[in-house]
Amino acid sequence: MRGSIRAALFAGLTLIIGACCAEAQSDSPPSAFEPAQVARPSAPSPFAAPPGQGSAFTIPQAAPLHAPGLFGAFFSWVVDTQQTMQRELVGGVKRLKTDNVFAAAVGLASLSFIYGVVHALGPGHGKTIISSYVVANEETVRRGVVISFIAAALQATTAVVMIGILAIALNASGIAIKSWTLQLETVSYALIALVGLWLLTTQLVRIWRRWREARTDPVVALSLAEHDGHQDDHDHDHDHHAHDHDHHPGDGHHHHHHAEGEVCHHVVDAQSVSGPMSWRKIMAVVFSVGVRPCSGAILVLVFALTQGLFWAGVAATFAMAFGTALTVAALATAALGSRELALKLGGRSGAWANGVWNACAIGGATLIMLFGALLFAASLGPARPF
Amino acid sequence: MGTNINVGVFCAALAALAATPAVAHPHVWATVRSEIVFSPDHRITGVRQAWTFDEFYTAMAVQGLDTNGDGVFSKAELEPLAKVNVDSLKDFDYFTFVHLGDDDEHNFPLKPPVDYWLTYDKGVLTLHFTLPLETPVDPTKKEVQMDVYDPSFFVAFGFAKDDPVKLAGTPGKGCTATVKLPDPGSEEDAKALSEAFFSQLGPGSNFGSQFAQTAIVKCAGK
Repeated sequence: MRGSIRAALFAGLTLIIGACCAEAQSDSPPSAFEPAQVARPSAPSPFAAPPGQGSAFTIPQAAPLHAPGLFGAFFSWVVDTQQTMQRELVGGVKRLKTDNVFAAAVGLASLSFIYGVVHALGPGHGKTIISSYVVANEETVRRGVVISFIAAALQATTAVVMIGILAIALNASGIAIKSWTLQLETVSYALIALVGLWLLTTQLVRIWRRWREARTDPVVALSLAEHDGHQDDHDHDHDHHAHDHDHHPGDGHHHHHHAEGEVCHHVVDAQSVSGPMSWRKIMAVVFSVGVRPCSGAILVLVFALTQGLFWAGVAATFAMAFGTALTVAALATAALGSRELALKLGGRSGAWANGVWNACAIGGATLIMLFGALLFAASLGPARPF
Repeated sequence: MGTNINVGVFCAALAALAATPAVAHPHVWATVRSEIVFSPDHRITGVRQAWTFDEFYTAMAVQGLDTNGDGVFSKAELEPLAKVNVDSLKDFDYFTFVHLGDDDEHNFPLKPPVDYWLTYDKGVLTLHFTLPLETPVDPTKKEVQMDVYDPSFFVAFGFAKDDPVKLAGTPGKGCTATVKLPDPGSEEDAKALSEAFFSQLGPGSNFGSQFAQTAIVKCAGK
């Protein structure tokens, strides 16, 4: 039974990855790059000359970026798509000056929206954080969608406010803008790690409290008695996921009771999730993600500003945010669906359901914490040249 | 094997699924043109780089730098930016990795650029700088390779389609320069690739190496 579940999961993952790569391969054209010419040492270099002779300059085109292997084909496709869309966006902003303004504006908004949908697949849009949060915290699909949209809107607002203040009000340099972006990213990652730590602590406290209740509550204990002997794995369970249990002077029976008791309590919990505590957590998650401005939005805003079309940049930013919100919401929903599926896989087994809830609660919170810490550490590296 | 192992496997799969689409992607695009500089005794003494950036990066980089407001970004106005670029490039080994053959474990040490400047034309910036090798390298015994890439893949470097690499100074007879792109069909780096994939978020990410393009300098004989 368990082996087949694992096999099914593995098969599912393989299918998903396979589908991605198949698509990627069909989408990435063969390299059009010709073998480079033999250089003529005597020829004068067109770019070693001192600057200021711009008229003869033609913008060089780069060879396509392709990586080897199956994964590589997928990554290459991602990179190609990203570059194509970025160029489309540049063109989209420029067309506002040359073409029919209304048509160009609709075009730019659509482009930005699609860019947002795809760009959100890259790191930094709260995808992992929000998915982990909703899975770990018994949140509903509707909540997941709302959280995704608020976070994306906040990221867009941060970008607009930041560029508005720095570039327009202060005429700050690109170097200053970059430095602000990096600092806000660092703050965001630190907050994410802290939110993860907080979530993990509350989850562990909650689980420990339930264990104690189950131990002392005779009703729960009684209702569990009839289940005794059904599940042989319980003792294994607790050794794995609830570390604090090991420190308790309880015997195997108590552990068992705790497991079943938690399922009973879960019904109550599911109804009380929408309490103020939950919203406080949600705001913390949203703020930690949203304090970091969306990198794509900053590029569009600054480029639009150089074209004298800041308003278009703002509109594009929010269209983009709508796109990223949709992607993040879809992934959060998929994560919730997977949790439901996992719950169903266990049939009526209370131990299984209990295990899924606890593993998701602890795993999700831990993932948020580690992810934040990893990104935070990475963001402290040396300043990037570009 | 307990239920929890399965649950753990399941949640790991879920996490992997959630993290999978987080593919590192470049934010800056640079087209590379290089000149390999030869000394009178036909050794390679250094590399002249000219990196042309994309319009988005350029707009960002030159923001606020037109200090006299004449609508032109002069060499002097761009000089502070060029200095920041070149100074911070040091921490990234100038994204330039010169080695014998494909032995990319042993890169020749580079000295800080002897000259550098930025040009702005047709809406894009080009960064020029000359990187000397600490000790000149003889390309006659074994070909010399130069990879230009950003290991973290924040910057996507690609050699120019036209005239990507030139030979400058006094190269020996029969010296040629070509560019080798990664072979999309090759599977040999599959392991390194998956490692790169899973480490892409970490500080030591080497995700960009799989996209690395290589300039090859061959000298058939003296």
